[in-house]
Amino acid sequence: MYKWLDERLDLTGLYQKVLRKAFPVHHSFFLGEITLFAFIVLVLTGIFLTLNFEPSIREVRLPDGRTVPAAYASVLYIDSLPFGAVIRSLHHWSAHVMIAAAFLHMLRILLSGAYKKPRELNYLVGLALLGLAVVTAFTGYALPYDNYAVTATRIGYGIAASIPWVGSTLAQVMFGGEFPGSEKAIPRLYSLHVLWLPLLLMALIGMHMAIMMKQKHTQPRYAERVAPGRILGVPMYPQQLVMMGILFALYVGIMTLIAGAFLAHPIEAFGPPTPNTPAVKPDWYFLWIYGILQIIPSTWEFHLFGATVGPEFIGGVVIPGILGLVGLLLPFLDTRKDKMRYMELPSQHPVRTSVILALLVFFLMTTLAGYKIDFQQQGSILGNNAVLWTLVLGGPLLTYIVSYTLLRIFYGRREEEALQ
Amino acid sequence: MYRNDPILPTFALILAAGLFYMAYLDGLHIARLLGHTPEELSVGQIGLMAFGAVFLLYGLIGLVSYWLEGIELRPGRHFPTPSTAPMVAGVILVLLLTALSGFFVRLLIYSAQTGHNPTWLQGLVFGAISLVVAVLLGIYKKFYGRDEVVTEEEKSHFPW
Repeated sequence: MYKWLDERLDLTGLYQKVLRKAFPVHHSFFLGEITLFAFIVLVLTGIFLTLNFEPSIREVRLPDGRTVPAAYASVLYIDSLPFGAVIRSLHHWSAHVMIAAAFLHMLRILLSGAYKKPRELNYLVGLALLGLAVVTAFTGYALPYDNYAVTATRIGYGIAASIPWVGSTLAQVMFGGEFPGSEKAIPRLYSLHVLWLPLLLMALIGMHMAIMMKQKHTQPRYAERVAPGRILGVPMYPQQLVMMGILFALYVGIMTLIAGAFLAHPIEAFGPPTPNTPAVKPDWYFLWIYGILQIIPSTWEFHLFGATVGPEFIGGVVIPGILGLVGLLLPFLDTRKDKMRYMELPSQHPVRTSVILALLVFFLMTTLAGYKIDFQQQGSILGNNAVLWTLVLGGPLLTYIVSYTLLRIFYGRREEEALQ
Repeated sequence: MYRNDPILPTFALILAAGLFYMAYLDGLHIARLLGHTPEELSVGQIGLMAFGAVFLLYGLIGLVSYWLEGIELRPGRHFPTPSTAPMVAGVILVLLLTALSGFFVRLLIYSAQTGHNPTWLQGLVFGAISLVVAVLLGIYKKFYGRDEVVTEEEKSHFPW
């Protein structure tokens, strides 16, 4: 059979070219694989969910006599199926894990300088993948159409609609009209969530892999000593595939345990949408933007060419946009002339490492600012806007100074000793 | 970033434990595990647990990689030493896998017949099945897989 296929399809050539590809071994490479496996599980569980979900807000009557939107009722039905609630919970948790793993994967790329020549383009594709994963998760958030999801999605709708000149058009494209209220909103978000965005994600993941295969992985530093000038690794088949199999089985095992024990979004607890707005916060990956919105004064508003530039736009679009732009420009600002083959050690790049740590503290402090109202209700000092501004600006600055000083003291001295 | 060391994965496991502790360890969750009680998790708890799950997976696979692939690769072929103990462990695990699979099917039938969905038990049994598969693959790789470490040119003609 193999011979028959080999004569026609040159399987030996495929084996030599693809399956013998050397895979460098370092645990930090698994962060990308965790992201990929989260996406695969999302697709598999998503297929099950699409078979039972009804993307509509038409009124339906439940067996207990309540009248609720059809989308909400269909999610209740999914939860009532044997193992249905676990599959839906696994879908929900995998979305969170995919974003968290992609973020940590990007952090590894930044800390090891793996965005430098020749991998600038693949870094940009990775950045687009992270952004797209967040948007895909957001479009799925409103689909159960419960009171919590609808209220939380309304925050995103407000940000999209606040963009001057194009805001209302963008909101129309994303939500199919006013949200909540428009009958087209759920079908529109559904089609974006299950078709267009996953297709785009698959295309970008394919591109990310293809470029990675062409350019090869960065390698752990010891490889320079063991096999200088060459790629050192284990063959894709069978060794790397077995490792991937172990990781996939670990992923499914641990995430199913978590999904079964901790139902992430139990819609029965939230109930269908009502005129009463519950106290909600957006998902954790939007909480830092929500935090910025909380501390920006409402007086930050001006008019420009007939459009209103308000605090919602400044906090929700301009500040994240500036950070995104810095991220996009990074491989063209921090460059090197020769090809990068081996991972750089964070300790040997104190400025870059300190900036990344400062950025992490910025995200943490703005996330903390997202709890401003809760702090105010508790009477905590953290409910004060001036204190939060100090933490958001001063925290990263202090982190940078402390981190840079420590790295210079501990690792700068070692470099000097090595040079002597 | 220098070698495939066990230090970072170990720290990742400790961090994961800390994040789970911060997120959820209170007395209520035990009551919650006893049945399907709809109760919301806050966005903060979900965020902490998502990062906790990633660090847990990263720590586990990092230590597995250190155990199976070593701290540094050396070019050449490496043959495993034949042994009976892993075979016995494999047989026991396959029997466990069969029992768990049967129990999982029985659990689904029970849920379909009664309408009662013990999600924690369903997740536990299905998760255990998957974890047993991971252990079996690990045993295969450690004790039966012929390992090879290769080097290749930086330039290649694939995919173009």
